[in-house]
Amino acid sequence: MVSTVQNTDVKQKESDHAVVVAVASRAVFEPEAQGGDNVYAEGVAFPLLQALQKVNERLLEENSAESLLFDIVLITTDSQQQQQSSHLISSTKHYGLEVSRFCFSTEEDFIESLLQNNVQLFLSTDRNEVSQTSQKGVLSALLDEYTTSCPSEQLRVLFCRDAVIRPDTNPTPASRQAAQSFSAQLGKMRQRFGMSDSPLSIALMTSCGGRDSCGGALRTLRSLGISVDEAYCLAGSPRGPILSVLRPHFVLSDCFSGLED
Amino acid sequence: MVKMSLDPVQVMSGQVTELKVAPSSNGDSRGSWEEKEEFDQDHLGLTAKPKPVTGRRARKVEGGVFFPKPENAVTIAVSSRVLFRTEREQKVFEQKGVEEYLRYQIEHENEPFAPGPAFPFVKALEAVNSRLRELYPQSEELFDIVLVTYNHAHVGIRLINTINHHNLFIERFCMTGGSSPIGYLKAWHTNLYLSADADKVREALAEGIAAATMFMPEKLTEVSQSQLRVAFDGDAVLFSDESERIFKAHGLDKFFEHERENEDTLLDHGPLKGFLEALGKLQKKFYAKGHRLDCPIRTFLVTARSAASSGIRALKTLRAWGLEIDEALFLAGAPKGPMLEKIRPHIYFDDQMFHVEGAAEMGTIAAHVPYGIAQKHNAKQNTGVRK
Repeated sequence: MVSTVQNTDVKQKESDHAVVVAVASRAVFEPEAQGGDNVYAEGVAFPLLQALQKVNERLLEENSAESLLFDIVLITTDSQQQQQSSHLISSTKHYGLEVSRFCFSTEEDFIESLLQNNVQLFLSTDRNEVSQTSQKGVLSALLDEYTTSCPSEQLRVLFCRDAVIRPDTNPTPASRQAAQSFSAQLGKMRQRFGMSDSPLSIALMTSCGGRDSCGGALRTLRSLGISVDEAYCLAGSPRGPILSVLRPHFVLSDCFSGLED
Repeated sequence: MVKMSLDPVQVMSGQVTELKVAPSSNGDSRGSWEEKEEFDQDHLGLTAKPKPVTGRRARKVEGGVFFPKPENAVTIAVSSRVLFRTEREQKVFEQKGVEEYLRYQIEHENEPFAPGPAFPFVKALEAVNSRLRELYPQSEELFDIVLVTYNHAHVGIRLINTINHHNLFIERFCMTGGSSPIGYLKAWHTNLYLSADADKVREALAEGIAAATMFMPEKLTEVSQSQLRVAFDGDAVLFSDESERIFKAHGLDKFFEHERENEDTLLDHGPLKGFLEALGKLQKKFYAKGHRLDCPIRTFLVTARSAASSGIRALKTLRAWGLEIDEALFLAGAPKGPMLEKIRPHIYFDDQMFHVEGAAEMGTIAAHVPYGIAQKHNAKQNTGVRK
């Protein structure tokens, strides 16, 4: 059973042009910890939400009639959180988060709720959820404990070539398409800002190939209308130390699958 | 830092256990990296499972390791402004701003940049690598050249085209799009950082990374294609600036007195000591295979100290550190330019701009190490007999 509740505190976005991003509510709030007034404590994805909001804020500064904005939806599949849906909604309002809608569903039909809400990107800390969602053709990315140390003033997205998120599955044509269309919209958003002081930064990383592999990836992204701010060609050097300096909020890789060098 | 040993077998059983390096022919060595499951911590849910690179023209690799582990290699990070000549583009940036600069770069994407001051040095590093690969095909103890620039990735394709055009062996780079590259230098275990930006160099030095600012000399004397020649000033480069402080505060006589009294006390280390050490370790690999006389790495000390007096402390210190320097030139205050012109190093490190400029006037590629007491004094000031 899927139910959707609108957040009356937030102006709803134009559905045709907005980029719908669904985030698992368990990533945004700590379900166990509670502050005073039955307000949840901040979760790992909190800086991510703030960064998404920052992008919207700046987009509207550039053009008050802007319709290409992030439309943030909180998805709850956890039955415990569902029972405390009012706390979820009040916590969201308490922090002034720009969440348009709350979706409540079961584990079985949460993907249906994603599709119903025209979600273009799904973010969660649950590996299985991310895997299943991607299988069904909705672009998804995994959040982890490193996400919490990412900046809240700038959204940092990393495109990673030659890394497979789910070793047991290959990205489907549908998810590849979803990746490309989301990325193209991200690219358009990026164009609204100048080179420096942008609230959105797009980075590319190639893990294993050499410089030609990275050059190819830059060209691929350019053909999708995405101009990249930062590029890292690792050619086999360990990813961890570089990522901890880079601090992306999330990583996308499905754009490249199936494309030649 | 670089942990090295003479015995190539030890390299295999030490940090590199997971890496199965196949004794392979040109271009195939990449296959060994594909066998490796995971390079490092599973960050952001990514597992490194590289797809085999197909249809790629095989690059000439003299056997063995293609991509060394950063901590095993001697990592040299160079910025795009010192590896190549980008004066025209710099001017566009300064006069017309970043947007116009990037547009210009994209417009000229297929025009490779001309070689910059660090270019001969990088070519010489590659020559050494070729010889090392011949002698130690399985070893990761090589020079690893990384392009580290805070340029925007828009310039990336032009830089890659340029690297291809000049046939350079650079497979790793990081373009930070404006943020500080220092964190990445540390992540890559950088042994030496060369940049045109003195502030970035100072930042790196403060983090304990050997670094120097490079300038384009007006004329370039020809340097060796087969032997890497690196020259160092002594005080405030290989050694600390303690003796210079005495000289600046109390004059030449006090300096001599102090050095004599402390002849048997080791000098403290300076910012480039580690790099000399790294060079020395590679040199020993050549000696171990009977290549002492034709070693493709040669190091020089070019100091204003005097051989008979103040120089002794310098030599004793080097000896105590276990560092060999091939030629020590004690100038006793004579100008360095003519001596450097004879030596023809690929790079000369000095802490005083006065000497860097003097060297450049005579066609030597000199790099400034902005470290120590000399930075507080006017670069052009004539500092007297001692230097």
